[in-house]
Amino acid sequence: MLEGNYRLAAAIFLGIFCGFLLVKSDLAWRKTCLNMFLLKDGRLIKTLLFSLGSGVALIYYLQYAEVITPHVRPGFFWASLIGGIISGVGLALCCRVPITVIAALGAGRLYALWTLAGMLLAVSFVDLISGPLSSSIYKWSTPLEAPQKADYFLDPGNPALWVVGVSFISLLFIQFVFRGESEE
Amino acid sequence: MRILTGKWSFYINGAFLSGMIALCLYLFQDTVGMNDGMIMISEYAGKTVEQTAEHKEIKLPPLDWQTGFLGGIFIGALAASLMSGNWKIRFFQEKESGIVSRSLKTVLFGFAGGFLVMLGLQLAGDSFLGQWSGALQLSGGSWIFLVSSFAVACGVAILLEQRNASGGE
Repeated sequence: MLEGNYRLAAAIFLGIFCGFLLVKSDLAWRKTCLNMFLLKDGRLIKTLLFSLGSGVALIYYLQYAEVITPHVRPGFFWASLIGGIISGVGLALCCRVPITVIAALGAGRLYALWTLAGMLLAVSFVDLISGPLSSSIYKWSTPLEAPQKADYFLDPGNPALWVVGVSFISLLFIQFVFRGESEE
Repeated sequence: MRILTGKWSFYINGAFLSGMIALCLYLFQDTVGMNDGMIMISEYAGKTVEQTAEHKEIKLPPLDWQTGFLGGIFIGALAASLMSGNWKIRFFQEKESGIVSRSLKTVLFGFAGGFLVMLGLQLAGDSFLGQWSGALQLSGGSWIFLVSSFAVACGVAILLEQRNASGGE
């Protein structure tokens, strides 16, 4: 594990790579994200599905070899569901998530400042209502269980195998259904 | 140097995205999401407003690995867009006539959308990158969040499109 300035330097380097990747994969552009939600453009869906399929397999083997350990924040059913619904409405309006807002600003899209302002205000707003939230939404259900791990990747009871399989089958299907690509 | 100027194929993007998350997990031994970084920036913005109102000296923003990562994203996106000729200053997200309509849509959609996205992410407990990282690690909460947010985003975007309230850049 990296510490101190090495940790910071690695984070900046990985951030630069991530910013590069967001522009190269079109994730930074509002129009391509909107077209993905309108089911008009399959490029981003294919990127995300490939990332899901390859990432789940990669992380399974890295955890199996004890190279990395699981790092997941505790999930609550209702908090995740309500959070997902609210975020979904916001995504349809602005077509951006925190890292793509920063990338869009880097690419000169100054209107993304409004989205950033809304996001920063939301953080303060949640801080303000954290008391009522803790006594309501997080109490409605117990924390979700940690992911189960199978000893063998090809074990039919291994959820990672199913995710990889469904991702790549969906990817093949989408490859033939979506052919158009939109430009920024 | 086509690799620096052109678009990358979806399988390269997908492999790099998952590889980057695995590398972050290995190097930082922490959740990958930038939630703490955004909270830190929000607190800094609030303090700066207070300091400006009280005419106090403004301190530099806090720099840890998460804010450093966010700063790196800005630099990386700037470099990539300059290299590929996509760097453009844009003040409005829509290309329709009428400055009032364009301004209103940009502010309303941008601000309300950003507020709702972050509100949902805060409720779910991590940023979008963190939720994606959680999904790769088969976290149930992340899967519930991602599936519900994509389904709702598609539904709302299609509804808005049908009502001509939403448009492309």
